[in-house]
Order: sequence, then C-alpha cells, then structure tokens
Amino acid sequence: MQLIKKVFENKFLRQLVFIVGLLSVWQIVVSTGKYHELILPSLGSIWTALIESITSGEMWDHTAYSFYLIGQALGIGIVLAFSLTALSMVSPLFADFVKTITTIFHPLPGVALLPIALMWFGIGEKSIIFILVHSIIWPLILNTYTGFRSVSRTQLEVGRNIGLKGLRLVSSVMVPSAFPYILTGLKISWSNSWRSLVAAEMIFGASGGKGGLGWWIYQKRFFLKTPSVFAALFVIILIGILVENVVFAQLEKQTVQRWGMVIRREK
Amino acid sequence: MDAKVVIENLWVKFEGEQGNVQALEDISFSVNEGEFLTILGPSGCGKSTLIRVIAGFQSLEKGKIFLGKKQVAEPGPDRIMVFQEFDQLFPWRTVIGNITYALKVNGLDKTKREAKANKYLEMVNLQEFARAFPHQLSGGMKQRAAIARSLALNPEILLMDEPFGSLDAQTRSILQAELVRIWQKVGSTIIFITHNIQEAILLGDRVMVMSSHPGTIKEIVDVEIKRPRLPETPEFMKLWHKLYTLLETKRFGENGRNNVLPGKD
Repeated sequence: MQLIKKVFENKFLRQLVFIVGLLSVWQIVVSTGKYHELILPSLGSIWTALIESITSGEMWDHTAYSFYLIGQALGIGIVLAFSLTALSMVSPLFADFVKTITTIFHPLPGVALLPIALMWFGIGEKSIIFILVHSIIWPLILNTYTGFRSVSRTQLEVGRNIGLKGLRLVSSVMVPSAFPYILTGLKISWSNSWRSLVAAEMIFGASGGKGGLGWWIYQKRFFLKTPSVFAALFVIILIGILVENVVFAQLEKQTVQRWGMVIRREK
Repeated sequence: MDAKVVIENLWVKFEGEQGNVQALEDISFSVNEGEFLTILGPSGCGKSTLIRVIAGFQSLEKGKIFLGKKQVAEPGPDRIMVFQEFDQLFPWRTVIGNITYALKVNGLDKTKREAKANKYLEMVNLQEFARAFPHQLSGGMKQRAAIARSLALNPEILLMDEPFGSLDAQTRSILQAELVRIWQKVGSTIIFITHNIQEAILLGDRVMVMSSHPGTIKEIVDVEIKRPRLPETPEFMKLWHKLYTLLETKRFGENGRNNVLPGKD
C-alpha cells in the first residue's frame, strides 16, 4: 500500500503507470486472437518494426525529411507573421488589413487548401510548405497581435523615453513584453503544422524519392505492414511530446519563467 | 539662475464621448537649473497630465514647452520620467541590464555602460541586486532601480510622477530622504508630482499648488525651510497648513452636499 501511494505521488511515475496500463489492455485484446495481426498487431511486432526501421536508417531519413519541411515552413511562417504584426503596430490601416485577412483565413483548415496547392504548386515540397505556412501564420499572428496589444503602457513609454522608435520599439519592448503570448502562438503553430504535415504528406507523397513520416505511413499501409504504421505513429507521438515537454518547456524556463512573467509550472 | 524648463500658456483638452474636458488651462511656469519643484494637487487636477505633456507622452492643445533654448514636443532622453508603476523596469532584463540597455540605445560603448550603471546602482544602494531580475525585487527596490536608470541617462530634467505613491509609509520616507541626498549630490533638475502635502514640503525648493476643473496653477509657494526638513518643526507645520488650505479639499458633508473645508478661497 505504502509503495503504491508513493508511486502515485510522483507525477512522472503516475503517468508511467497509466501508459503501462493502456499498453497492457492493448496486449490483452491482441492475445484474445479475435483480431487479425494486420488489423491489430502485437506490441512485440510493433517494437520489432520500430527497431528495424531505426537501425536501417529508414526512420531517421523520413523523420529528417519531415523536419526539413517543417523547419522551412516555420522559418517562412515566423518571418511572415512577425513582419505582418510588426507593421500592424506601426500603421493602423495595415492592422485593419491584417485583421481582416486573419479573420478570413484562420478558420480554414490547412488540408482544405490541398487541391488549390496542387493546382498552384503541383505535387511536391512547395505545396506542402504552402499548407504548413498557412497553418503556422494565422494563430501566430493572432497571439502576437493580442500580446502586442497587452503590452504595458508604462513599458512602452519607458521605451519611447529612452529613445526607441518605430520597429526598434517593437522588437526591443513589444516582442519581449508579449513573449508569453508569442510562445503560446508558437506552440499552437507548431502543433497545427505538425498535424498538417503528416496529412499533407499522405496526399502529396514523395518527391524525388524522398518522403516524410506521413508518406512512410501511407506507403507501409499500402504494403499492409501494419506494425510499421504503428511504429511511425509512435514516433510522431514521441516527437510531439518531446517538442512540447523539452523544447518548449526549456524555452519557457529560459525566458518568461526566468523573467517572472508567468506562473511557474507545477512540479 | 537660468531657467531649465519653461512652460508657456499650456492648454490641454481631452476629447471624450461625453464631451470635452479641459484638463489644463493656461499653465505657465518655469523651473530653474538644479531646482527641485514639487507639484501638489488633488487627484484629477491634471498634475499627471501636465508632467506627461512635458515628457511628450501627451499631446497639447496649445502652448509651448522649452528645455533650455529648444522647444520640445516628442519624448526624448533629455526628459526622463520615473513612473509610479512598479512595472516600469523591463522584466526581461536584469537590474543592471535595464540601465546598460538604456545607455546602449543612447550610443554609449560597452565598458562605459557597465561602469556608469554600477556607479548609479551604488548611488541608490542596489549594487548587490545588479544581476537580479525585476520580479525578484520589492516595490521600493524597483523604484530605486528606475531612479538609477533615469539618472544614468543624465537627463536635463528628471520628471517624477508620484514615484513613491504605491510604497508603504516607511519605505516611502526612506526613499524621500535618499532622493534628496542624491539630488544634492548630482545636482539634477527635478519636477516631482505628488498629492501628499508632507512629501511636497520635504522635497521641494518650491511647491506648485494646482486646482482642478480645469487644472490651473493656484499658487507657487517657496519652501524656505533648511534641509534636512523635519515634519514636526513649527515652520514645517505652518507651511503644511498653508498648503492644506490652498488645496481644494472637498468632502461629502451632511445631506450629501459637497462641503468645502474652511479656508477654501
């Protein structure tokens, strides 16, 4: 009893117990033999497929390609979103324009643009990046804009007082002051684009023999390699968790938490 | 002595949905080089508006502001403001970083920035907290840091908008004494806004009393009490009463009528 209590007091161990529980249910269902291995593979075969794809380098290649695409899209998206929002802060007319286009395009799911992207850019990297950029900029603009609007008047006046003007005032006072909002925007943009990426890859497939994780899943399903499909899903989940809990958590710790701008995370 | 700041026939109007409000009406005064002027008035008399106009944060309807010989309108590092709000330090920079950054914007090179920042941190007794972030400081320490940052920029005039207004009484009186000490050492020219009569007398060479609706200058009183000034001396109390009667101290009297305390006009 004492041990169980201790395990449940630790957040990490608690979550581990839940995960082990879910995996056990999975394995029990598989062992009933009611479902074919092609529909519901055993944990063992998924593990084997995962290890195999890692050692053969296949998984690395596809993951790297996915990151290569999302990296480019994030670069373009962040630059675009920041330029549009920064210019909005300088010109009210431009702000109205940005607000209007954000209202129009924000509710539009990236995947819905697939046919258009196909017509405009053809099958390949450009189309995927186009869709990713779309899924990145709107939430980033919305959050950054809200952040900029909530910058303390005093801090803005201090900035102007010491001699900052225009875009320099935006980058030196408004951006750090709005950083909690920007970080939230980045998180949403990241998860939006990660989802869109997997979906878009399944439709556009590979270009020039290269393909990302989404394409890999699609390919494996085509050849009925179900364990590999699950292995790829596992990798996608893992990357999602790592980015959220390592990359963003560190970024938050080094910035807004260090500056005392947000309440610290629970232990 | 030369006039450092000259305000000539300043008018400020606020345009609102419920009509326009004349915040300031025909304000003219000057502050001498090295002088400490306190501006005293009830809340809503436009004293904050006045200092914000001088700083360039608020636009004026008509009138002129001169800093030395040159007319000013836009905000600039020649008139540095110390605010009442504790969030006037940039939370993403350390205490010393707040100062060195302001110096960097004003074109000082790196080694000079550090030295200068340290000098002023020492002056406000905050050198131990140089590497701390603002959220780790108390309210009084934040105001000290803000004063250090302002002084480091060597402004021609220091504008202080109730900088001690949110502090507890004890911290407040410590900082008042320190401000006088620093002012005597540095020789800066200061305009200091307050609604506290005692603070106005303790700090100012002159006290400018304002009245509201619209904001006008009621009287400018010389404070001829030797420093350090102590509130319990007869001359201090006499001046306190004089300023008290000059202020329009309204209160709700019986029958809900607006009574004016004796001595008004």
